[in-house]
Amino acid sequence: MPLNIIVCIKAVVTDMPTARVVRTVDSLRLNLFDLPALETALQLRETHGGKVTVLSLGPPQAQPVLKEALAMGADRAVLVSDPAAAGSDTLATANALAAALSKLAPFDVVLFGTRTCDSDTGQVGPQTATIMNIPVICGVTRLAVSAQQAEVVRLLDQLVETYAVDLPAAFTIHPEGARSRDIGLMGLAAAFDAATVESWTIADLGLVPAQVGDAGSPTRVLSMQTVKRDRQCEFISAQQPEQQADELMRRLVEAGLVG
Amino acid sequence: MDVLLKEKHISIRRTVRAFCEREIKPVAGEIDRQARFPWEVADKMGPLGYFGIQVPRELGGAGLDSLSYAIIIEELSRVSGAVGLCVSVHNSVVLYPLLAFGSDEQKETWGRALARGEKIGAFCLTEPNAGSDAAGIEATALRDTDHYLLNANKVFVTNGGIADICLIFARTDPDAGHKGISVVVAERGTTGFVVGDLEDLCGMRANPVSSIRLYDCKVPLTNLLGREGQGLRIGMAALDTGRMGIAAQAVGIAQAALEEAVQYAGQRRQFGVPIEKHQVIRMMIADMATQVDAARLMVYRAALLKDRGLPFSQEAAMAKLFASEAACKVTDLAVQVHGGYGYSKAYAVERYYRDARVTRIYEGTSEVHRMVIAKGVLGK
Repeated sequence: MPLNIIVCIKAVVTDMPTARVVRTVDSLRLNLFDLPALETALQLRETHGGKVTVLSLGPPQAQPVLKEALAMGADRAVLVSDPAAAGSDTLATANALAAALSKLAPFDVVLFGTRTCDSDTGQVGPQTATIMNIPVICGVTRLAVSAQQAEVVRLLDQLVETYAVDLPAAFTIHPEGARSRDIGLMGLAAAFDAATVESWTIADLGLVPAQVGDAGSPTRVLSMQTVKRDRQCEFISAQQPEQQADELMRRLVEAGLVG
Repeated sequence: MDVLLKEKHISIRRTVRAFCEREIKPVAGEIDRQARFPWEVADKMGPLGYFGIQVPRELGGAGLDSLSYAIIIEELSRVSGAVGLCVSVHNSVVLYPLLAFGSDEQKETWGRALARGEKIGAFCLTEPNAGSDAAGIEATALRDTDHYLLNANKVFVTNGGIADICLIFARTDPDAGHKGISVVVAERGTTGFVVGDLEDLCGMRANPVSSIRLYDCKVPLTNLLGREGQGLRIGMAALDTGRMGIAAQAVGIAQAALEEAVQYAGQRRQFGVPIEKHQVIRMMIADMATQVDAARLMVYRAALLKDRGLPFSQEAAMAKLFASEAACKVTDLAVQVHGGYGYSKAYAVERYYRDARVTRIYEGTSEVHRMVIAKGVLGK
């Protein structure tokens, strides 16, 4: 049975922000946590046939990142881009993605990375699935589809869980779920010379500006600061290893770290 | 933000860098120490298009432009000069002349296999008595009824130890001076085709540079590239493109050295502060960054001229001269920033320092490039 697979991806800023984040074509790249999701989608298509669509919410500068996803093997790329969406938090992002997914329906499988390497919340996948009212399983390391069902394995700290779930369903793919393929130069050339990224506005999705962007976001990031670690190196000057060990133990006990 | 690059080029840089960081960087130091060509990397690069960067897609290549080519060579060389060298030579001085001067059949037979990396190419011009003076070639390719009989002693052949398809510069007419030189293709495995010992070189050690000797090696007449007597023209055209590759390679090595120096200067503490706080180190970093930037812009300009179909020979020569000299200065400064550690094989800048040196020598020495540039400026 050919599958209609949608992978929600994000163009992220990986450099540490020092002031306001400026998104340019060179400062954005595909979220590393999305790569296993995209790879899983491509493998599912190889097994079952069908189509892989990548979907993203972001500024127009994110377009080359979507073309890289096409170069990796995706069939179709959709970028929801609208000035009204600027400043969207995870819920507003999920609103926009859910509306876009409805427009792309019917689909069988929706995949996400477990989180993004910039804002790092891990919320967008489950939030989008909840808005869509479809099942979601997070941290999936193996995904097998048969008929209208998926059998998935997910990894927790000390547990491996196996689920059966009806499709359509959403999954976030664990970083160990798949090692992504390298993008070839032929694919890049074809993506940039011939392929197009479809661009949708908020209005195209039937949303109003109040549902997305700053206006649609219940949370606000007030400030961001780098953590300063004040670490000091201490030397133990005792001559013999035994004395050094005793001295180390004494200091650890004194510091309340052992004992 | 780069003002010269289009989105496509930015994506190519990003993608190639990701590949290099994941697949090549982890082995770059080891393959240098072991003087081993990384087949495990080359086998991955073939299907991805690295061996046919500018080869048309209908021949199985990636069909990219010269600017993309420069960016790719720069990025490969940023992690491994030796891998960058292999790919540069294969693409620029083997595939380029094959595509520019080869027959349709030659392009189909050799071009396709080379573009996929199923076969590796080498450019065999240098001999014990001919290098900068290319017209001094002594190798011969004498026409018999249905074949050429090749006799040659080619030295310092980049990719020599792994090459399947070699462009041999040889005299088809020993009495015709520089007009008697032609390019004939010799394939490894042909009787009389002998790969000499690998050179024990200062840098670029993961590239199997060797001599290639041909003893009464019979090849079909159809192995002639272009026409008889066209050898030096083909060679010069190949070297124009080759210069750009070596210039891009020098930029990549210099960039890597700059990055290592910046990182080390932020970590190493002396006199109570990271050495990046010391003015003398800051001056070095400023000089290094400026040299790398200028060299990169010169390479991009030569590539952009070529992509627009404009003359680029002079600009490519200037880019190669400047970038190779810059790479030597920058890697030298990177070693200096590292102090004693920079002189140790435990730190990558030691490799960059060795790798950079040859960029001033091969594909035309700095001195030959000055001759070429002066002729361009003075018109004689």
